Amino acid sequence: MLRKLVFLALLALIALPTLVGFAQEPDGLPVDIPREDLWVFDQIFRWQTVNNFNVWRIGGSTPFHHALMLETFWNRDQETGEFIHALAAADPVYNDDFTQMSVELRPGVMWSDGEEFNADDVVYTIETIKANPELGQGGWHAQLTDFDAAVEKTGDYSVSFTLNRSNPRFHTLFESRWNGIYMMPSHIVAEVEANLADGENLGGWVWEAQDVVVLGNYLPVEADPNGYWELFKRRDDPENSLAGIITGGSGPPYALSIFYGNDNIKKAIAMSRNELDVYFDVDIESFDFTLENAPAARSWYQDFPWAYPNEVSSRQLAMNMEGDPLIAHKDVRWALALAIDIVELQTEYIGGVAKVTPFPVPPTAKLYELYHGPMTEWLSNLQIDLGGGEMYSPYDPSIPDQIAAWAEEQGFTVPGEPHEVFGSGWWKYDTDAAEKLLMNAGLSRGGDGMWMTPEGEPWVLDLQSDPSENDAYRMGQAAFDMWTDFGIEVNFSTLDRNTWNQNHYVGEYEVSTPWTSFALASGDMWPNIRGRHSRYYAPVGEDYRPLGGDSVRRLQDARSDELIDAMESVNPVAQEAENIELGIQFLQNWVENMFDITCIAFKKFVTWDETYWTGFPTAENPNYQPLYWFQGGKYAIQNLHPTG
Amino acid sequence: MQLLRTYILPRIVQWAVVIFVGVTIIFLIPRFSPINPVDDMIGRMTAFQTMDPQAVVLMRATMQDLYGLDGSLLEQYINFWQRLLQGDLGPSFQNFPTPVNEIIAAGLPWTVGLLTTSTIMSWLLGIFVGSLVGYFQHRRWAQVLERVVIVIYPTPYVIIALILMVLFTFYWPIFPMVGGAQGKPALNWEYISSILRFGFLPALSIVIGGFAFRFIIAKALATTEIASDYVQYAELAAVPKRRIVYSYIIRNTMLPHVNDLALSLGAMFEGALITEVVFGYPGLGSKLFTAISNADYNIVMGIVLLSIVGIATGSLIVDLLYPVFDPRVRLR
Repeated sequence: MLRKLVFLALLALIALPTLVGFAQEPDGLPVDIPREDLWVFDQIFRWQTVNNFNVWRIGGSTPFHHALMLETFWNRDQETGEFIHALAAADPVYNDDFTQMSVELRPGVMWSDGEEFNADDVVYTIETIKANPELGQGGWHAQLTDFDAAVEKTGDYSVSFTLNRSNPRFHTLFESRWNGIYMMPSHIVAEVEANLADGENLGGWVWEAQDVVVLGNYLPVEADPNGYWELFKRRDDPENSLAGIITGGSGPPYALSIFYGNDNIKKAIAMSRNELDVYFDVDIESFDFTLENAPAARSWYQDFPWAYPNEVSSRQLAMNMEGDPLIAHKDVRWALALAIDIVELQTEYIGGVAKVTPFPVPPTAKLYELYHGPMTEWLSNLQIDLGGGEMYSPYDPSIPDQIAAWAEEQGFTVPGEPHEVFGSGWWKYDTDAAEKLLMNAGLSRGGDGMWMTPEGEPWVLDLQSDPSENDAYRMGQAAFDMWTDFGIEVNFSTLDRNTWNQNHYVGEYEVSTPWTSFALASGDMWPNIRGRHSRYYAPVGEDYRPLGGDSVRRLQDARSDELIDAMESVNPVAQEAENIELGIQFLQNWVENMFDITCIAFKKFVTWDETYWTGFPTAENPNYQPLYWFQGGKYAIQNLHPTG
Repeated sequence: MQLLRTYILPRIVQWAVVIFVGVTIIFLIPRFSPINPVDDMIGRMTAFQTMDPQAVVLMRATMQDLYGLDGSLLEQYINFWQRLLQGDLGPSFQNFPTPVNEIIAAGLPWTVGLLTTSTIMSWLLGIFVGSLVGYFQHRRWAQVLERVVIVIYPTPYVIIALILMVLFTFYWPIFPMVGGAQGKPALNWEYISSILRFGFLPALSIVIGGFAFRFIIAKALATTEIASDYVQYAELAAVPKRRIVYSYIIRNTMLPHVNDLALSLGAMFEGALITEVVFGYPGLGSKLFTAISNADYNIVMGIVLLSIVGIATGSLIVDLLYPVFDPRVRLR
């Protein structure tokens, strides 16, 4: 009897999964909509606040909500660099001293409830955000308050802003790569505001799916109470949405965002089950798994190097100028750069799938044209002093060709000119030159061949990295291996993201692996470098954030300050050439001093499966960025059509 | 009356003191963390864009005020107790101004449902099978079973969970990969069966892990119990084996098992982080993890408060039930 019971219990353990599994349809999607009408995309993260589409409040998350639902005046496409007129019909117009900005609005854009968007919506949005600190999204309240921005309706489709001081970049608050000040439907929000009880404010207003009115093409329908998915429905008049007007496309009837967790392989499995049409990124191993198990899947390039290479950011071996005292010595920084074999780093560690860049501006098509191309000659002529008057040219413009040769050896075809696919030149791998530089800085080799400080102690360099950023971590591993081979004792620490971030905030690191771009997708550098001005400097041990700047590197450099100040008063649209020239000078100073060792640009294995939907932008058809989670991702979504 | 004064009351006082001290510690610990919720939120809200440094300073001051993080530690502590005694855990910082009560309420049913069911199942199965194997330790089936469990027991839980996930979502894709149920909550078979389907793999993984642990304990206890006089005598007296297992072995080994069950159920409010992450299952574990990462003090305090109360209450219940299970406690 007992034996039978044990047998039955074990049998149940094995049989129950089968029974429970087969008792239902094997469809793992949480909504019951035909796949021919449903586009399923990677939600990237799990919503903590569910079914509240008040995106203007503090903590109102916007990723892909902005692409599906929200609009502002201008968008900036990361692929083309194009300045897209969205709700504005033209470029911003400033007065001579940049204290006034006029905007012509695009007529004929309709809210999803049939009301037309006009200047009243703009005036209401600005005044409401300015009056409510609880509407803190994007820092817009703080920035509008800082410039005491007053908005005036000058016509049904025109507004004018007046500022308390000069700001030639005020329009960037409304220029979205990721976020920009999103317009509110004044006819809806004003009514909500009028009905608030005493003590309540719009920060606490919960805008639930069924009440939402949008300028975008999609309306929220339903949200998982646990934040794993959201369902959106195309509005009844897609031709009147802004994305519809601009692209002429209508997009899939339904869109489902779904979070499969941060585990790359789960996304790849979901795509192999036809339960995910696009994911935003995975590691190369999971991407290979996708190619093997989802025959209709592809990324930006049909074949090698597959991944989308033009997200506007780059990865550095950043150095703390007040960390190791030796790092404050320019020769040491240059020696560290020349001890990196960038071809090996890019191929053996990164798999050949990211562009190389020698300074913190990624070589996207637009930024290559603005910075990398014009600086090539200067870089080729650049010379550094190895000591004793020996001058040395460190730049090697043939790096992309060397990577292309490696790719061909592997049996891959390079889809274009090497510099288009693999980026710019970089620094020569020259350990002899690096050796001379270290000697010049007073270091010496010990009996074991390892480097000793000028005081005769072993030189130990601390390198920190966060493994959750795959490429940054692999770049760190490459630096560790190459510097160790060069005779430097390197402590490579793998840190949790929060600890790693915290070390940056207070300057508790020597070399680290962060990421940044000094230039926006437009090419304008000032917004991204202003925080590096010495006035925001914080010494090691003090958190730089309360000062509002970006003193991660603990850098104080008079020439950088001078160029940042000069750029501040330049209008990046009307005076683009002057602005870019100042940017080039800033980068030249940065490179000459080797303030950080920038290695590669961002890449994303944004991958889509064409079983049900096709039309995503590709390297062969690069009309828009494929980064659907950015504001400008809407244009890619709008152009999707069923495979039939 | 003496039992109340000398046994029950001191334990209730101890329960209250444990909760008070625990809550005070959990109020302090996040505030000593180097992660600042205001800076974390500003970082998230201004990702991919830049802000005028002066505006950042202004925004920081505004949010410090809105989050209630102005004032001394003592003032914040007093405010915290005032709110707590009114059942208000405050707003979540990362989901401002969503109340923490609301966030916990969304995850709690899933955690309680999954962990209660799977813990009780693994507890029953572990005790029953472990005791049987302990009693029939020389039988072949018992030896095979024991060897299987000995392999499972030291296997890290995450490995078991990943194997199940890959097995039943990729190689044999019969289970969903994410979520707790399909459709809108309703009292109909469609929704309830979807809860079973979505919860099956997470529950199975917990049952397997918990079963192995409890099997080993139950088997060890049963092996000791076999040598006792009353079991030997019962066997000599030809008492049916089923009765020996149930009434002589399992019953006499129940005290540590009851302890284990009470503490396991009390600790369930911490959630099952790995289960939630691997199976994409809703619950409190991932909420707690995210809150710790983002210094969302109020969520951390809310969930840990539940856990402190749960474990303290579990211990209290065990203490109070001991006299029922063990007459020796009553006699003392």
